[in-house]
Amino acid sequence: MDMQVPKKKLSLKERYTLMTRDLAWDTSYQPKEKVYPYAGYEGIKIHDWDKWEDPFRLTMDAYWKYQSEKERKLYAIIDAYSQSNGHLGVTDARYLNAIKLFLTGVTPLEYMAHRGFAHVGRQFPGAGARVACMMQAIDEMRHAQTQIHSLSNYNKYYNGFHDFPHMYDRVWYLSVPKSFFEDAMTAGPFEFVVSIGFSFEYVLTNLLFVPFVSGAAYNGDMGTMTFGFSAQSDEARHMTLGLECIKFILEQDPANLPIVQRWIDKWTWRGVRLLSIVAAMMDYMLPKRVMSWKEAWEIYFEENGGALFKDLARYGIRMPDCAAQIAKEKDHLSHQVWATFYNYGAATDFHTWLPDAEEMDWLAQKYPDTFDKYYRPRFEFWREQADKGNRFYNKTLPMLCQTCQIPTVFTEPDDPTKICYRETTYKGDKYHFCSDHCQHIFENEPEKYVQAWLPVNQIYQGNCFDDGVDPGAPGFDPLAAVLEHCRMVHGRDNLDFEGSEDQRNFEEWRGMSKRNA
Amino acid sequence: MGYALTIEPLGQTLELDDDQTVLDACLRAGIWLPHACCHGLCATCKVQVVEGEVDHGEASDFALMDFERDEGKTLACCARLQSDVTIEADIDEEPDARNIPVSDFHGTVSRIEQLTPTIKGVFIALDRPLDFQAGQYVNLDIAAEPGMSRAFSLASAPSGGCEVELNIRHVPGGRGTTWVHESLRAGDTVKLSGPYGRFFVRESAQKPLIFMAGGSGLSSPRSMILDLLARGCAQPLTLVYGARNRTELYYHDDFVRLAAAHANFSYVPALSDEPAGSDWTGFRGFAHEAALARFREDFRGHQAYLCGPPVMIDACINALMQGRLFERDIFTEKFFSAADAQQVRSPLFRKI
Repeated sequence: MDMQVPKKKLSLKERYTLMTRDLAWDTSYQPKEKVYPYAGYEGIKIHDWDKWEDPFRLTMDAYWKYQSEKERKLYAIIDAYSQSNGHLGVTDARYLNAIKLFLTGVTPLEYMAHRGFAHVGRQFPGAGARVACMMQAIDEMRHAQTQIHSLSNYNKYYNGFHDFPHMYDRVWYLSVPKSFFEDAMTAGPFEFVVSIGFSFEYVLTNLLFVPFVSGAAYNGDMGTMTFGFSAQSDEARHMTLGLECIKFILEQDPANLPIVQRWIDKWTWRGVRLLSIVAAMMDYMLPKRVMSWKEAWEIYFEENGGALFKDLARYGIRMPDCAAQIAKEKDHLSHQVWATFYNYGAATDFHTWLPDAEEMDWLAQKYPDTFDKYYRPRFEFWREQADKGNRFYNKTLPMLCQTCQIPTVFTEPDDPTKICYRETTYKGDKYHFCSDHCQHIFENEPEKYVQAWLPVNQIYQGNCFDDGVDPGAPGFDPLAAVLEHCRMVHGRDNLDFEGSEDQRNFEEWRGMSKRNA
Repeated sequence: MGYALTIEPLGQTLELDDDQTVLDACLRAGIWLPHACCHGLCATCKVQVVEGEVDHGEASDFALMDFERDEGKTLACCARLQSDVTIEADIDEEPDARNIPVSDFHGTVSRIEQLTPTIKGVFIALDRPLDFQAGQYVNLDIAAEPGMSRAFSLASAPSGGCEVELNIRHVPGGRGTTWVHESLRAGDTVKLSGPYGRFFVRESAQKPLIFMAGGSGLSSPRSMILDLLARGCAQPLTLVYGARNRTELYYHDDFVRLAAAHANFSYVPALSDEPAGSDWTGFRGFAHEAALARFREDFRGHQAYLCGPPVMIDACINALMQGRLFERDIFTEKFFSAADAQQVRSPLFRKI
């Protein structure tokens, strides 16, 4: 009698391989170098793409099923939140300025990440890496969409949410996140994955998400909190992709080590500069605070990142040199950035304010070595002036760092009373920097960074006014013209929170929701 | 009384405590499951329940969807057993694993040898043969402390039949090893269970093998080497064996003889603290330094098996990676504890 031998069940790994890499093919009538033209010029040597370990094993059909249910749950919560006027349940309308910052400064980055991963998902010669990048590209697109949908609710009631993609391309401080991602996307495929997949998603992502998502939870913002949880279940996948990629590159050839080390040095510093906006938000913008920036930094970078770099040392990777300066800056960063936003509060697409007495006490407690000594006197002086009717709005455009594009407002690492300026001359032109590290990044790739689109320089060159505006007309107000160009309404979207339309409306609506008219 | 958890595709079965999570049990048994957040949010540790009931615990609605719960998925970090359960996890199959079931044995101590000033060789005649894979360990009941047992690697080859050998270093202040060194005598009856562990030779990979041992960590590599040579393994085998000084180096003459008798076996002893004037002509320094010198800092194409104190293991891993041998080809006897799963540890490496 014939016995049917039962076929052994395929393992998850075998099934995944069959449905992904197994579908790839070798080219026959075009050489590989022409099919993957960007794979070689960064100098990364890969000998065997089969050694790529799939960081996760998620196929399209499973992905669709999984994400559709997730989306249904998220939108049910967003609907319930908006129908029950959930926006009136946040701690204070002031909180929403943190969310404006998120919508204009973070959400577009999700979309940039989508584009970047879609791009490298085409460019890697290895099918395993291509599939992983493609999956992340879809995730990033979903994140951008769900964030826009979650936050659109606020646009019905509050100012500043009305034109975020337009602002992202024009508002001065938003060139910081924008240029960060453009730097990554215009690098080669390996640098992109090290910069975004590893440095940003793995080393720094908690410092971005914890402040905003926990901040939302602490401040009654259910919509933001829910998309945060929804996104977090994808982030683990993104982190493992970043880690797998760095291991793979380092194991393939010893010559890859110095290249990867330079990228890690560069992108750790670029990331930390980018996060200085989050530092200010965390310490100054949340009515109900989660933890201080310094505390978050110590947990998520010094502790978790320290453990990572200890393991990476086995490959010969060392902690980036900039870590020493970062450790010195953690006591100063948020205060210097918030002071800058307060200065330029006439040109921000959100409201600014001075910390009140209780908030300053909290800051003094969290920053015992620096706040009372260096920053409290400044805020108190501005408060005094504002009370006398001299609210200080800085009308001089600042000098920007050629690399990170942040105004040169940071102090010398060892002297918090002295602004740090660095400069270098390249082909007869002088370029300015906020720090040694930004200068080194420029000097390593000057041809790239001389092309930087710096908002201040562009304003002075007359490139930031609407078409048809005549800067030579009598009484021309350049700052007003720039605001118009950014589609910001002066007196409504900018200036102090105190006395704003947002503040008035919130109080009135909240009153109506509690009392009979 | 807890339930039994069987993990596919390994086919290994574990006994779980009532409130123990699936992830915790697997990690403690040396079975690495993908995991990250450890509290039900990130979904990295998702596994398929093939049979039985689990409680999903605090698994988030976004990390473990309703349809997945219907399909029998669960998050290992939160799942607790409600019956005997079989799961299928995303782990690589081990073609060389024999998955020998654990059972209890009674035995009599046949002799005890003082191998070095700190290590004793304990030979036990069991009531029946113990089937095990070279490299595995047993849990020996410490008769003086009811309920206490200690794990010891089997130092003899699996072909030894009813007699097994354990090499036990006296850990100063350690209750288990103090009992072995001070109270255990030939003729005493003992109880043990086994075989345990996933430290065995991956012969199917067909690669030259490097064994790195320190102190009484020699047990597993010795069992592996005796077994491989007895079965006529043709791959080049190298034993790098580190001890502090000549008196702590045991079975030295046996390995010298084996190396003379087998062209594919080389023996590299290294002493880190041997008096300068002694007649030792071998390598002076640590085991990882001896290995680097022996292989000219290039371990590519090999597999390495490490056994010894944590500091030595760490130094050896660093040396191997410096010589471009990576995680997939490095095997250690590593135990994860619940504390490992909680502490700040980077997920860069899975098993080393």
